[in-house]
Amino acid sequence: MPVEIPKEKWPGSVLTVTLGALPSEGGTRKRVVTVGGETTLPFLHFEGEIPNPPVVAIEIKDRKPDDWSPLLLEAWKDVIDDPAQWAAAAEAAGADLIVLALSLTNRNGEPTTPEEAVANVKAVLGATGLPLIVLGPGQAEVDNTLLVAVSEATKGERLALGICEDKNYRTIVATAMANGHLVIARTPMDVNLAKQLNILISDMGLPLNCILMDPTTGALGYGIEYGYSVMERLRLAALQGDKMTQLPMIVTPGFEAWKAKESKVGEGVPKAWGDWLSRAINWETLTALTLIEAGADIVVLRHPESVKRVKAAIEELMAAKTLVS
Amino acid sequence: MTVHRVTFNHRAEPVTVKSGTLITEAAKLAGIDIHQPCGGQGRCGRCIVQVTEGKVRLRSSLRLSAEDLSLGYCLACQAVIEGDISVLIPEQERIERRLVTDRTAVEVEPPPTYAPNQQTLKRYFLTLEPPDYEDQTDDLSRLLTQLRVDLGFEEVEIPITLLKKIGTVLREGNWRVTIFLDVVPCRNGVPHVRMVEIFPEHCEDDSPIWGAAIDIGTTTVTLWLVDLWTGVIHAQVAEYNAQIRRGEDVISRIIYADKDGGLQELQELVVGTINQLVEVACKRVKHYEVKPNDILKVTVAANTTMMHLFLGVPPSYIRLAPFIPTFSQAPILRAQEIGLKINPHAIVDCLPGVASYVGADITAGVLSAGMDDTDKLTLFLDVGTNGEMVLGSKEWLVTCACSAGPAFEGAGVRDGMRATDGAIEEVWINSETYEPDYRVIGGGKPRGICGSGLISLLAEMFMTGVIDKAGNLNANLPTPRIREGEHGMEYVVAWGSETQHGRDIVVTRVDIDNLLRAKAAIYAGFLVLAQSVGVPLEETEQVLIGGSFGKYLNIEKSIQIGLLPDLPWEKFHFLGNTAVKGAYYALLTHESRERIREIAAKMTYIELSADNAFYEAFMSAMFLPHTEILRFPSVMEAIRSLRTPQ
Amino acid sequence: MALTGIQIYKLLPQTNCKECGFPTCLAFAMKLAAKQVELSACPYVSEEAKAQLEESAAPPIRLITLKSNGYEVKAGNEVVMFRHEKTFYNKPGLFVKLQSSALEEEVKSLAKRIHDYCVNYVGIELQVDGFAVEDDTHQPDKLKATLAAIRSVSNKPVMIFSDYPENLGPALEQLDNEVPLIGCATSDNWEKFADLAKRFKAALAVKADQIETLAELTEKIKGKGVEDLVLVPMGKNLGHELMLQTQLRRLALKANYRPVGYPTLAFCSSQAQMVQAIAKYAGFLVLDAFAEDLLYPLLVLRQNIYTDPQKPIQVQPGLYEINNPQPTDPVLVTTNFSITYFSVANEVESSGYPAHLLVTDAEGMSVLTAWAAGKFDAERIAKAVRAANLEEKITRKRLVLPGAVAVLSGEVEAELPGWEVRVGPREAVDIPKFYKQVLQVN
Repeated sequence: MPVEIPKEKWPGSVLTVTLGALPSEGGTRKRVVTVGGETTLPFLHFEGEIPNPPVVAIEIKDRKPDDWSPLLLEAWKDVIDDPAQWAAAAEAAGADLIVLALSLTNRNGEPTTPEEAVANVKAVLGATGLPLIVLGPGQAEVDNTLLVAVSEATKGERLALGICEDKNYRTIVATAMANGHLVIARTPMDVNLAKQLNILISDMGLPLNCILMDPTTGALGYGIEYGYSVMERLRLAALQGDKMTQLPMIVTPGFEAWKAKESKVGEGVPKAWGDWLSRAINWETLTALTLIEAGADIVVLRHPESVKRVKAAIEELMAAKTLVS
Repeated sequence: MTVHRVTFNHRAEPVTVKSGTLITEAAKLAGIDIHQPCGGQGRCGRCIVQVTEGKVRLRSSLRLSAEDLSLGYCLACQAVIEGDISVLIPEQERIERRLVTDRTAVEVEPPPTYAPNQQTLKRYFLTLEPPDYEDQTDDLSRLLTQLRVDLGFEEVEIPITLLKKIGTVLREGNWRVTIFLDVVPCRNGVPHVRMVEIFPEHCEDDSPIWGAAIDIGTTTVTLWLVDLWTGVIHAQVAEYNAQIRRGEDVISRIIYADKDGGLQELQELVVGTINQLVEVACKRVKHYEVKPNDILKVTVAANTTMMHLFLGVPPSYIRLAPFIPTFSQAPILRAQEIGLKINPHAIVDCLPGVASYVGADITAGVLSAGMDDTDKLTLFLDVGTNGEMVLGSKEWLVTCACSAGPAFEGAGVRDGMRATDGAIEEVWINSETYEPDYRVIGGGKPRGICGSGLISLLAEMFMTGVIDKAGNLNANLPTPRIREGEHGMEYVVAWGSETQHGRDIVVTRVDIDNLLRAKAAIYAGFLVLAQSVGVPLEETEQVLIGGSFGKYLNIEKSIQIGLLPDLPWEKFHFLGNTAVKGAYYALLTHESRERIREIAAKMTYIELSADNAFYEAFMSAMFLPHTEILRFPSVMEAIRSLRTPQ
Repeated sequence: MALTGIQIYKLLPQTNCKECGFPTCLAFAMKLAAKQVELSACPYVSEEAKAQLEESAAPPIRLITLKSNGYEVKAGNEVVMFRHEKTFYNKPGLFVKLQSSALEEEVKSLAKRIHDYCVNYVGIELQVDGFAVEDDTHQPDKLKATLAAIRSVSNKPVMIFSDYPENLGPALEQLDNEVPLIGCATSDNWEKFADLAKRFKAALAVKADQIETLAELTEKIKGKGVEDLVLVPMGKNLGHELMLQTQLRRLALKANYRPVGYPTLAFCSSQAQMVQAIAKYAGFLVLDAFAEDLLYPLLVLRQNIYTDPQKPIQVQPGLYEINNPQPTDPVLVTTNFSITYFSVANEVESSGYPAHLLVTDAEGMSVLTAWAAGKFDAERIAKAVRAANLEEKITRKRLVLPGAVAVLSGEVEAELPGWEVRVGPREAVDIPKFYKQVLQVN
């Protein structure tokens, strides 16, 4: 009985964004990472192209973090005091990309200086050949100061700089434009806000293929459904031809999952929660897998075991390509 | 090189210019300064001139009607000289009338068919047989009998206060009296008759009978004093609702009313405002001496909360889910029952509303806009503290209310004010210097900015890049007018040296957010209303706008900020205060009053808080002009032409 | 096709008689369009209109209900491809696999653990829905014994899977008045399974690795009078499973293709399969194994994905600590409307000032709306303070109210003796200034 399978012919597609620059392109990376380019919904190979698989980034800090789960500190205990070693270990753990999150203060508790930030970024760039994402500590003024210094000191590397938000985007966008970097645009779980920020940034003259959007998500149990639907809606809009939503999506399931009580706390929790370590890793893995189903192009993770599982799943999702070609 | 001769205002000496010169440049050579508030970009339309001889090439004719173009009118800053021409520069006054995007509220006149016999408030002269020892009938029965015999009224309702004076009046007039009755036709054929006033003697039979149409807005109360005999409006007055000091919005008032003594205080405050307006209106009347006591009938339009407060009915349940008011149609009252200082027996007819957040101001507005009587798919918008809107035609009507806040009434904005003398009602910003220019109501020094001024200001700031599409002020622009103020960034519209009070008039980031929220709420309301019935907003055939903008609204700028949908300008009609106008029609004829009742009965109310659709639409509209720029093609085009030099 | 409110309105009497319980015919029509009311509520609708309106209402995916003594698990009746378009209605049933080869005592103890598993998530008790028994020994007696062992500790619904339909009889006979799921019927054995399903009033799972085959099978089985079917598309890998599930849902919803208008079932061994099955369209999941540390996040994921997205976007009420607050730092109060929460939290976070952010349950409304609707008042704030145990956590008791509800400060003070109640700024942007100027923090 022949059945005609309904196929969607989408008028739009996701833009292709490349992170990192090879020496021949003015950078120092050994490898670049390209994301985006989808012409259909996630992994529907039977009706469109998924030219670039989603990639996994590992988040590292410029110093031993104060507020991470002890499980994570344990997982990275040999390298956690040295961002360069940490980056190398992350690469070894299977990361496609490194996310370096700068801290507000250095290990002595003093405010991080632009010089320190630059030194740490350079050290990480020296220790790994992977493309790099650099995030400020999350306070507008400090972010702007540190990121401008980093941006200027790494001209041409095609780093992704973040975070641009609707109230603070001009400085970061301007320095990215001047120094050949990308930016990350983050908005709080809302399709319209995401589009609006993309419009504001591109109004400044930064080409859309230099922007990654972070629509924000909650962890499993902490609002993942909102992030999930916002991502599905953004991707549908992109495919329907809405230019301002056609950017690849970066999300941070690692950050979200590891701040959940389920991952942070090992004692005094219900027995039904099961073993702490496996539960915590499952929490991160399931959060990431769910977001990949919704169209994430870059997932930023924290635990090496989750990285392994998520990468295996991506491979299996991409393998279906051969079944239809 | 080709040169042309340009003659201005029939002067003897033409100037000679190169081919390709703009008329504005030529005028400068001739020593004539043509006013160009927008900096010569064809946006403001203030540089209209008429080319009486010869031809020019027009870069843009955006703001002119086809008729004006055929008469040779053009924008001097957009007209390229390519031959010898003669140019006439009109006076500023005449220019402003030529701009097709400016809408001025129409003057209201009685309906052409109006005749005194349509009025339910009627005046009769009666002559009674005096009593004597034989005829021992009491005064009241005597009067009622006469009414039955002369006029056929079987039953007449008489307030106790009138009863008290009948005896004296009958005797004072020597059994000849003038009596005022409100005679309302009923469906069973027997009219409902209410006695309103009785005077000794027969008064002049063409002297005015006074009535008032009132709209109680959350922010502004409006009153028209009307001669019921001719239908002519003799005074139009408005004032801020004195309840404002107890809260800016309806919710604050409802909560205040729940406090001890709060309800009574609010009722007294609004009645006080009306009483003041009555006094002022009476004094404004020319040719007649009118006293408040002469007013025998009022019709009242108001949003549901205001109507409850006006009558002293607790409004508590309006704000609590599922938002049910105590009444939609109040009974007919007499002025003395609620403390109105007009004739104590005067009829107070409160018009019917639909729901907690769509009141009699809207049903009256729909009537006065003629929306219940048109085949055209019509969008009606009443901008007040709430934005209420109605979509439909004579077949069906849907309505919703969204809380826009009082920004467009000039309240809740730092330098906002009502549309009265001293208010800036239009602003232009030069796109190179970022210097503003403005027009003030009354022509004097400014005191603040009214609703239409704020719309115009927001549009200009957006079009010139003073703010980005999210409303952030661009601190990098080279102008001292953008500065760090007490509440973050702000833009100075007028320096203290130019203003009445000597203080700078500014618009702050918080003001901008308020305006964005207000316009987003209204546009989102349109979208949700259209979606709720499955009609595309673009299919709207006419947009009727009422509300508190004063006498003037610029459609183009309202579209630029995404307040109004991007439809051809000729589809918009600006009607001024439609609520008081509806109350005025209901004051004049029973037919209008009946139509309002029917409108209230058939209007379908959509509760916006029931789902996410409104929230979505609102977030999407919280951008200039809108996140979906494709909904605003004309604005997209205007931005493009601004950013790319010609 | 679904009709719009106006289209339906034109079919109604338009008399605004109000007898349906709505103020106007148009209001009723819009409720009909949203499928929130039955047409029968209108006493005056014409026969012709009735026919037209009912045609557009049949569900494209059949509702299947598995039943046992005291339990029901539903699948089907879904109407959208994406949850944001309306909502996903019936949470996929989670069934844990038990094999007939296992020792009876093992089955009992595992079944008991599965039955008793219960985890609390935001006040909701989440549980496993039932058991999927696999006839891996191909022995009817073992199958029967396994089922009996399960029934000795649990009454939750069961699925029974065997390659040999004839093995199922004895096991099914012990089920009293239940609707189990049996299967899987394939091209080779469908007739026997169909007979069995009919005899025991069971729902029948139909398995194939191609959509065409599934469609052929369901049509044949339907021809035998069995209509409660469940599709089991057998993908070759994760990506292929996604493709099949997507195509089945699309055929049912977009093409209204009845032969695949049934819910689906996914056999899951990897975490990725489980996540995908929940997110992408499975009506039932059969899990390979039972592990608490995985079941908990899976049950939560299912709960999250099947939340109604039309409800206002909320964050979890409770206490949020921002920038490592100490017991001496202030408590900021706001509502659980997501945008409200985010604007406050972001502003505080980026200011660097420490705060205990107390998010009250205002049913997802913003500060002013909630206050207007009576969902954000002194009583509720005080309740939230107590629920978060702030009396003990905070040493310097300062509570900052949103400026928009300054009027509440007196009442809050009365409700919370010992607290210093401050009125904060109206706008979140002014929070840093408030810290500096009013709280005098540097």
